[in-house]
Amino acid sequence: MINIISKTKYAYIFSITLTALSVLSLFVWGLKFGIDFTGGTLLEVRFPESAPNVSEAEDALRDLNLGSLTLQPAQNQGMLVRYASEDDALNQKVFEALEGKYAGIQRLRVDFINSTVSQDLKKNSLWAIFFAVAGIMVYIAWAFRKVSRPVESWKYGAGAVIALIHDILITVGVFSVLGRFYGVEVGIPFVAALLTILGFSVHDTIVVYDRTRENLLRGSAKEKFPEVVNRSLNETLVRSINTSLTVIITLLAVYIFGGESIKDFSLALLIGVTFGTYSSIFIASALLVTSYNLQSR
Amino acid sequence: MILKRKLQIKFTLIIILAVFVGLVSYPQATVRAPFLYDTLNKLKINLGLDLQGGIHLEYRADVSQVESNQVGDAMQAVQDVIERRVNAFGVAEPVIYTTRSGSEQRLVVELAGVKDIEEAKSLIKETPFLEFKEEGGGTDESQQIPQDILDDMNAQAKVKAEDILKKALAGEDFAQLAKDNSEDPGSKDNGGEYDFQKKGSFVPEYEAVIFDKGLGDGQIFPELVETTFGWHIIKRIEVREIDGSQEFKSAHILIAKKTQPEPQMNFVSTGLTGKNLETAEVAFQNQGLSEPQVSLKFDGEGAKLFAEITKKNIGKRVAIYLDDMIISAPTVQAEITNGEAVITGDFSIEEAKDLVKRLNEGALPVPITLISQQSVEASLGQASLETSLKAGAVGLLLVIAFMILYYRFLGLIASFTLLIYTGLMVTLFKFSVFSPWQITLTLSGIAGFILSIGMAVDANILIFERTKEEIRNGRHALAAIDEGFKRAWTSIRDSNVSSIITALILTEMGTGFVKGFAVTLILGVLVSMFTAVVITRTILRFVAGEWLERKKYLIGVKEK
Repeated sequence: MINIISKTKYAYIFSITLTALSVLSLFVWGLKFGIDFTGGTLLEVRFPESAPNVSEAEDALRDLNLGSLTLQPAQNQGMLVRYASEDDALNQKVFEALEGKYAGIQRLRVDFINSTVSQDLKKNSLWAIFFAVAGIMVYIAWAFRKVSRPVESWKYGAGAVIALIHDILITVGVFSVLGRFYGVEVGIPFVAALLTILGFSVHDTIVVYDRTRENLLRGSAKEKFPEVVNRSLNETLVRSINTSLTVIITLLAVYIFGGESIKDFSLALLIGVTFGTYSSIFIASALLVTSYNLQSR
Repeated sequence: MILKRKLQIKFTLIIILAVFVGLVSYPQATVRAPFLYDTLNKLKINLGLDLQGGIHLEYRADVSQVESNQVGDAMQAVQDVIERRVNAFGVAEPVIYTTRSGSEQRLVVELAGVKDIEEAKSLIKETPFLEFKEEGGGTDESQQIPQDILDDMNAQAKVKAEDILKKALAGEDFAQLAKDNSEDPGSKDNGGEYDFQKKGSFVPEYEAVIFDKGLGDGQIFPELVETTFGWHIIKRIEVREIDGSQEFKSAHILIAKKTQPEPQMNFVSTGLTGKNLETAEVAFQNQGLSEPQVSLKFDGEGAKLFAEITKKNIGKRVAIYLDDMIISAPTVQAEITNGEAVITGDFSIEEAKDLVKRLNEGALPVPITLISQQSVEASLGQASLETSLKAGAVGLLLVIAFMILYYRFLGLIASFTLLIYTGLMVTLFKFSVFSPWQITLTLSGIAGFILSIGMAVDANILIFERTKEEIRNGRHALAAIDEGFKRAWTSIRDSNVSSIITALILTEMGTGFVKGFAVTLILGVLVSMFTAVVITRTILRFVAGEWLERKKYLIGVKEK
């Protein structure tokens, strides 16, 4: 049996550091919002021969004075052009400007979102996050409704919630860093990924907690609470890791082979699920023990 | 014995199911049985726009001028008009619907598999918005041009006209000059030419040049001729006499004079819009310079409305707005009860014809603005489909490899079940077309599906870990398997609830990306609960026997 609980200190240090860094990054750099939330256009074009370098293509668009223009090379002689736009007429002008310089250029994808729509999306996302958090809270309250000793049931709930906040903060933090250094933008898919992580993170934690309660009910009086928790962790360790592993395998497949448009989405899920598994093994149960120790002091 | 019999039946059903979903998912396997192949091959997954190429357009309809109880009607009319235009374009199964966001009315148009996205878009964009307005009192001064600027503009126009006259006299091609410079929309495309007109139908200054200044056929008058329209460079082509009246054929280049626009009235909506239009056609008026015009015929309701409006506004002006621009504002002479109206404006023949065509295909009752577009070129959609299917195949194979390596015999059964699960999902996607809950598979949906493959074995892992635990605790292998299923069930149920909660909330978020992902994820979780528990259990019970007790390494438990 591995004594996981004894390593609590290291896990706490690791998690608090990461969470603090994430929060810091979020305050300093924030997130780089995509057109879903800011409005604007994402245009993907394919050049007939090899793609020109970014600054050269940018010259073609100079006269249009586009707001927050960014160009980014993409696969297969492609390029992603992002800019602020309110009106579809501008989209036409942008493409014509490119076409004027690069004959035979193809317009592969146009995502245009006017600010009214992006406002809506922002509002909807906030509501979705609100409802998801509320839904998960209700579920946690329900899952831990049975009173158990020696730790009160609400503490299980609180532990699950802390683990969940930890997972979400770290995922958001990573994307804040990615946004700062690699221009990774967050949009609706990112929100969807976060909500999915919410669901995953809780279910992992619940599996471990369930076992702890089961062992508490059936266990002998001699066994102390931290030992019961540790035994439960060990008993569920393999399945915690394996269930996450199969999910991570499929997410990796999507991340590596799934193409550009869902790469960031699968990356967010990957980070969230990985940390979700880590936190349900090393943090969630440790929190129970910590609160037990404080209580019995 | 009865139990055994029941198990046999269940097992047989599972095999039938497996074969069925296998064939539905992969009809190529039946290529040697043409009848079966044809039937199965007809079943197709409904692919989203991002996978087959296509366009998703969202328009905002401005209904601020429409009375609130008629908003529904107006939106229905918008939808009908757009539908008619799109159908004329020949898109297979266009999806057009109205939605609202807060107080805003929106129209969504989805066209799948469109080859030329821009053409489709401009087709919708060109749908005219026609509206009749009446005087609302007060004038709009903002349109007034200061007199000195106006004089300046006209001085420049005259210089330009003189310049062109010089070129024309120097022998440059008159027709080409007219085409490039003339500001008379009725003749410029025709090289400035007007066919034979009776004497007296053009302004007097113009006819004076043709008849009284000694100009011969084919000659250009060497001076600029000023009329109320502007400055003309006139070429007489032919004069003839028919039945005692003179007719003339001529060409001219007009450089128009800028005049103070009529003080703009504040016009207000009358409720008469393109919705009430029955037909439109091109007509010509023959006074002064011949200008094409568009005559309109209203439907019954429109005719009634028009009669009311004209009756109310005798002596006042009624303005005709096209796409929010005023194109003419004639003064009403009398009540018009026949439901016919005429639009005059600066139309060229081509423009008038085009407008008539557009109006006849349907005019919008309210203006619409594009606020969101997602378009994907077919080749990109195809590429996305291929890469995501590849990702799915790789994911599936890796999960199977992992399960077999780690859980051996049990993993093999779970993998078989996983294949059935995958086939069953594909079958559900295909058959959903026949149900009211049609599933459209998008890129994010495939991502959700692939993710669900990873989650589908979760239940098996929970069961198998429990089974191994029971065996380690000294239970007989077969009993341990049974116990594993029994004891793991609550965990399986509980752990899936949280995924379903968040996925359900995601479906309510409304955007296509999220919805596609969430729907397949929910379906996947539900279907996998069935396959991972019921199917795996039945197969295991059927296949496993006493021999398993002696070969525990097949389960991954070391012999004691």
